[in-house]
Amino acid sequence: MKSRFKHLGLGIMLSLFALPLALNVVSAQTADVPREDTVIFDIDATSIASPTNFNDLVPGTNKNQGAHQAMWEPLFILNYETGKIDPYLGTAFTPNDKQDVWTLKLHDGIKWSDGVAFTSDDVVFTIQLLLDDKTKTLDNAANMQHWVKSVKKIDDTTVEFDLNLPNPRFQLDYFSVRIWGGLTIKPKHIWEGQDPTTFTFYDTAKGWPIGTGPYKLTSASPEQFVWDEDPNWWGAAAGFHALPEPKRLIWVVAGSETNKALLMSNHQLDSAMNITLGTLQAVQAKNPNAVAWVKDAPYSFADPCPRELEFNTEDPVWKDANLRKAVSLIIDRNQNIAIAYQGTTTPSTTMFVSYPGMNPFIDAITKAGEANDVVAHVEDGQKLIEAAGYAKNGSGIYEKDGKTLDVAIMVGNDTQEYVLSTNEIVEQLQQAGINASSNPVNGATGQNARQTGNYQAEWAWNTCGSVSEPWNSMNQLNVSYYKPAGEIATANYGRWNTDGAKAYSAIVDKMGSLPLGDASIPDLVAQAYKYIADETPIIPLVQAEKIVPFDTTYWTNWPTSDNAYIVPTTWWQNTFVILFNLHKAKPA
Amino acid sequence: MRGITLNYFLRRLGIFFLTIWIAGTIIWLIPHLAPGDPISAMVARLASRSGFVENSAEIIQGWKERFGLNDSLPVQYVRYLGNLVHLDFGYSMANFPTPVSELINQALPWTIGLLLIATMITFVLGNFLGAIMVWRRTPRMIKYLIPVGMMFTSLPSILAALFLAYVFSFLLNWFPLIGSYDMGMKPGLNGPFILSVIQHGTLPALSIVIVSFGYWTLGMRGMMITVEGEDYMSLARAKGLGPFYMLYRYMVRNAILPQITAFAITLGTLISGQVLVEYAFSYQGMGTVIYNAILNQDYPVIQGTSFILIVVTALAVLIIDLIYPLIDPRISYGAK
Repeated sequence: MKSRFKHLGLGIMLSLFALPLALNVVSAQTADVPREDTVIFDIDATSIASPTNFNDLVPGTNKNQGAHQAMWEPLFILNYETGKIDPYLGTAFTPNDKQDVWTLKLHDGIKWSDGVAFTSDDVVFTIQLLLDDKTKTLDNAANMQHWVKSVKKIDDTTVEFDLNLPNPRFQLDYFSVRIWGGLTIKPKHIWEGQDPTTFTFYDTAKGWPIGTGPYKLTSASPEQFVWDEDPNWWGAAAGFHALPEPKRLIWVVAGSETNKALLMSNHQLDSAMNITLGTLQAVQAKNPNAVAWVKDAPYSFADPCPRELEFNTEDPVWKDANLRKAVSLIIDRNQNIAIAYQGTTTPSTTMFVSYPGMNPFIDAITKAGEANDVVAHVEDGQKLIEAAGYAKNGSGIYEKDGKTLDVAIMVGNDTQEYVLSTNEIVEQLQQAGINASSNPVNGATGQNARQTGNYQAEWAWNTCGSVSEPWNSMNQLNVSYYKPAGEIATANYGRWNTDGAKAYSAIVDKMGSLPLGDASIPDLVAQAYKYIADETPIIPLVQAEKIVPFDTTYWTNWPTSDNAYIVPTTWWQNTFVILFNLHKAKPA
Repeated sequence: MRGITLNYFLRRLGIFFLTIWIAGTIIWLIPHLAPGDPISAMVARLASRSGFVENSAEIIQGWKERFGLNDSLPVQYVRYLGNLVHLDFGYSMANFPTPVSELINQALPWTIGLLLIATMITFVLGNFLGAIMVWRRTPRMIKYLIPVGMMFTSLPSILAALFLAYVFSFLLNWFPLIGSYDMGMKPGLNGPFILSVIQHGTLPALSIVIVSFGYWTLGMRGMMITVEGEDYMSLARAKGLGPFYMLYRYMVRNAILPQITAFAITLGTLISGQVLVEYAFSYQGMGTVIYNAILNQDYPVIQGTSFILIVVTALAVLIIDLIYPLIDPRISYGAK
C-alpha cells in the first residue's frame, strides 16, 4: 500500500513538472514568425489600459506601444547627433523671409497601408481638424490655433501654412520629432465625419488602425502589441528606403527592472527602456551580447531634459536671489552624480542638454563667465547666507529671527532617480546648514502645486525643450508666462518676474524671432543667461541619464555612441531610423 | 425560508443598500480630498514624456469642462449617484475615450481566472492541512512538515513571486516570466492559446497559494482543536466510529463554517486583483487597473472598480447571512 502511494506521488510530481515542458513545445509551435526575425521591445508602463484606442488626438493616448515607432511615420526627424532635420514623409518645409508662411513638400508615392494615397488632403484635413476644435482639448489643437491662420492644399504633394505670427521653429517644434514624437497626420478617408474626441480608430474588421509605416498592427492587448511587416509599404516601392529586415516587432510590458534584466539575460528582450547601472552590469554578466550607448562609464545617453533645482521665486524666504545663489554654490554636482547616479551621468554647467547642436550656445555662456561650476564652493555659499542675516544655531542650522532656513524640495515619487538625487542634495544642504527636506509627490499633486506656485523648490526639468536651438528652453522662464500664486501658470512656474526677468525675456523674445541658425543667437544667449546666473531662478544640476541596453544576439547595428546614427530612444518616433538600420545577427 | 423572517430579510436588505450608499459616498469623497486632479495628472504624464506641454492651461480647462470637474462638488456628487443607479461609470479620464466598463471587462476575466483558481486551491489545501494537523491519525512527520511549509506565509507575495520567477522561469526556464500568454500569440479560444494561458498563470497562482494557504491552515487548525474537545467527539469515539468518518462528518463539517464565511468574503474581494503579483509577472488584471487609476487620480475608474468591489463583497456577506440557517440548523434569525 505504502509503495503504491509512493509511486502515485512520484507520478503526480513528474506529471506536474512535465506539463510546462510540454506546454513550451506547444507554444513554440504556435509562433508563425521565428524569433530570429522578431525584435522585442519593452514598453515602460505597468500595462496599456486601453489597447484598442488609437486616437492620439486625445492627449494621453499611448503611442509608444509601436504605433508611432512602426506605423505612424513622421513628416521629418530631427537628428540630435547632426543637429539636422532629416526628411521623411516630407521632403522640404520652407518658410518665407518673414517666417510666417511655411510650405510643406511631401514625398511622391506615399500610400496608407490600406492602399489609399497619402496626399496633401490628409495634411490639410488633420490641421483643419485641430483648427476647428473650439474646445482646444485635442492634442496640439491649442498650439495650431495659436500659430496657424489657415492651411491650404497647393497640389497633391504641396501644402501651405499661413501663420498668425512669424515662427522660425514651426517645423522643428511640431513636425520633426523634436522630443518623443511629432504631430501625426490622419487619413482623411477614415477620419472624416468621425467625432475626433471619441473615435478610437480601431476596428479589426476594417483593418484599423492604419498608418503609412512599414508595419501593420496584428494584435493588441494590455500587455503586448504585435506588428507585422507590410510587404506593400510605400517606402520600398517609391525608393525611399528598403523594407526593414525585422519581419515582426513586439512591444511588451516587461514590468519591473528585475523582469527586464531576466528577460534580456535570456535573450527574450532585445531593447529595454532605461535601467540602472547595477541592472546593466547584472545583464552583461549573464549576456555578453548586451550593449549600452557607451561601452564604459557613464554608459548612458543624455535624455533631452537636464535635471535642475527650481525655486518659487515668490516664496517669502527664497525670493532672495542671493540665497538661491548660495544653494547653487553649495551643491557639488560631481558628488550628486557619484552617489545618486553611480557615475552614470555628467554635470550640467548651463540649463542646456549637452548635444552637439547645443554646443555653440553652451560655449557662448561659458565664454561669458556665466556657466555654473560643477564643484561645490560651500564657504562662498555660506557667506552669502550669513550676509542675508542668518547665523548657525546650536544644531548647525542657519537661523534668522528665530526661524530656521528651511527648504522643502518637491520631487516626483515615481522614479528612483528623482528621489535619490533629491535626497543626496538634501544631505549636502543640511551639512552646509540649510534645513532642507525632500517632499516626494505623485504626478497630479506635483503638477497642481507647480502650476499654482504652491511649493518652495522643486527637483525637476521644467525648462526642457531645447535640443538644437536655445529659445525653447529659455522661453520657459519668460515673464509672459507669469501668473500670481494661486493662478494656473503653464510655464515660468517659479514666478520669476523681477526687472532682471523682464530684461531677460526681452532678449529671449528677440531671439525667438530670428531664423534658426542666425549668427547673432549665441551672443544673445550669453546676454540673457547673465540674468539667470545673477538671479538663479533655476540651478542646473546634472544631465539626464538613460541607460538603454540592447541585445545583439539576434539583431545588430543598434545605435551607440560609436555608431551614433540616431539617439537610442526606442520609445520615440525616430525608432523608424533604428528599424531601417537593424541587421540580422544570424542570417537564415 | 427556514430560520429567516420577512422582517429580518427586509432589514438585512436595507443594511445592504445602506452599506453600498455609504461606501459609494466614501469612494467618491476620498479621491476628491486628495490634492491634484485627473487632468493635471494627465498633463504631468505628457510633460514627463515630452518635456513641456504648450498651452496646458487651455487643455486642462477644456477637459475639466468636458468631464464636469468645474461643477460644484454637490452637483458632481448627485450626478455620480445618478450614474451609479444606472451602473454607468462613464469614461476613464486617463484613457479617454475608453469607457470604464471596457477597462473592467478587459481585466476582470483575467483576474477572476487567476484568483478564483488560486483562492480555491488555497482554501482547499489550507483547510485540508489545518484538519490533518489536528487529526490523531496523521503521521507525525507530516505534522512537523506542515508548519515548515507555512513559513512561506510570512513572505510578502511579491517576494514569493520573485523567488518563483527566478527559480522556475530564469534558472529552469519551465515557465514564462511575463504576460498572460506567449509573446506574438493571437488571443483566441483554441487549444494552444488556452494552454499558454495556463502556463503563464501557473507562477502567479503559485505565488498567491504559497503565501496564503497558511491563514486557512491556522484557522482550520484552531477550529478543529475546539471541535475535538466537544462532548460529541468523545461520544463518537466511545461508539467506535471510524476515524475517517469522524474526521469528515464530526470534525471538518463543524469546523468549516467560519472558514466558509471567510471564503465568501475573500471571493468578494477577488475582483480587486493582486497588484504586486500582477506587477511582478506583468499580468493583466484588475489590480493593475486599480493601481493605475489611483496613480492617475482617474476618478471614474477608481469609483467604478471600487463600487463593484463593494457590491460584490456586500452581496457575498448578504448571501452568507441568508443561507447560514440552511448550512447550520442551530442558527435562526428572528424566528420565534
